[in-house]
Amino acid sequence: MRRLAALLALMWALANAALSYFFVTSAFVAKTAAKEGLLAQLSLLVGGVLIAGFAILLARECVRMMTSAGASGNA
Amino acid sequence: MRTVTWLLVLAGVGIAVAGIAAILGQAASGAQPWSNELSDNFVFIKAIPFVLGLGVVVGLLGGTPSRGAHATRTDGAVRRFSRTSIFLHWVITLGFLLALPTGVWQYLGGILDVNAPLPLYLIYRVHYIGASVILFSLAAYVSYGWMSRDRSLLVPLGQWRSHLRGLMDELPRAISSRIAGLLRVNMREAAPRAGTFTFYEKVVSFPSWTFVLVLITVTGLVKAARFGVELPGLFVYFNSTLHVTAMVLIVVKVLDHLRYTVARWPMMVAMVTGWLPARRPDARRAPAAESTGSNAAGVLRGSDS
Repeated sequence: MRRLAALLALMWALANAALSYFFVTSAFVAKTAAKEGLLAQLSLLVGGVLIAGFAILLARECVRMMTSAGASGNA
Repeated sequence: MRTVTWLLVLAGVGIAVAGIAAILGQAASGAQPWSNELSDNFVFIKAIPFVLGLGVVVGLLGGTPSRGAHATRTDGAVRRFSRTSIFLHWVITLGFLLALPTGVWQYLGGILDVNAPLPLYLIYRVHYIGASVILFSLAAYVSYGWMSRDRSLLVPLGQWRSHLRGLMDELPRAISSRIAGLLRVNMREAAPRAGTFTFYEKVVSFPSWTFVLVLITVTGLVKAARFGVELPGLFVYFNSTLHVTAMVLIVVKVLDHLRYTVARWPMMVAMVTGWLPARRPDARRAPAAESTGSNAAGVLRGSDS
């Protein structure tokens, strides 16, 4: 069960990592600058970096849990 | 008391079902020349009072004291969540699963200027359904908290300093050593013991959840109402910006919530069973019953603490 939960959470983390990629790359395209302005670019960049950071932290926990799922009592 | 509450719930369910049926009937009549998207928007606005009302009565029912609810088990396990809390947690999770991806798509689709394989109104429709589920859950949580007087996730008045001290022990040393000075936490003081919930949950997680949920709810309601009420354009623009900000913060909060609970398996189990196992298998006394707080959080040590 732990492995399944960790796997699902890892998939969520990866989906969010992909989301952060779109946030960050969107911050640097000319279309965003023209349509949304500098503030939106900055928001996309900060939001993307934040999401990426937390997605990495979650992925790290998931990998740790999957690799140590056999050992009990360490959660 | 419980009979009255049940009657209230039945009345609430009846009113909600009748109201939503009437709203859908109006929308399906074709009397208004609205697009699918605008029609859905009005269905959502009109359904909000019924959704909130239903949430309130469900919360009242869940918060009514029941005879079988014990704080501890004979094996020392501590009740961390009531059945209502568990139910509402999973309901709001469903709401997020519906509302978050559709909200992200509405925002990013516009930024990237790409079209989904589905018509946009369907994405909005799912978003509105998810938002309704979240509104129901929030109304139910508030009325449940009021009825049950459960304040275990709140920092009691006058105890912020001691809770911050406890939080420092839960954070990684690299972080606590940096922020203890900023927050003027006296590290020479003995750290208090956490209750059923960890200091991180009480000091960081719950307050920030409250903030982002209030922000997304208020801004979402304003966004939904903008077709029915005339609002200044600049106000709508800033409101939309805040709604997107709240969305990003919720994405971050969900990641952090999962990170924190995945690392503490008993928390995950408790979110299904409601029970937090005792720290020691042979524990005869429930941690929450101890006079100076509890060591329930002792079983919740994660890899980052």
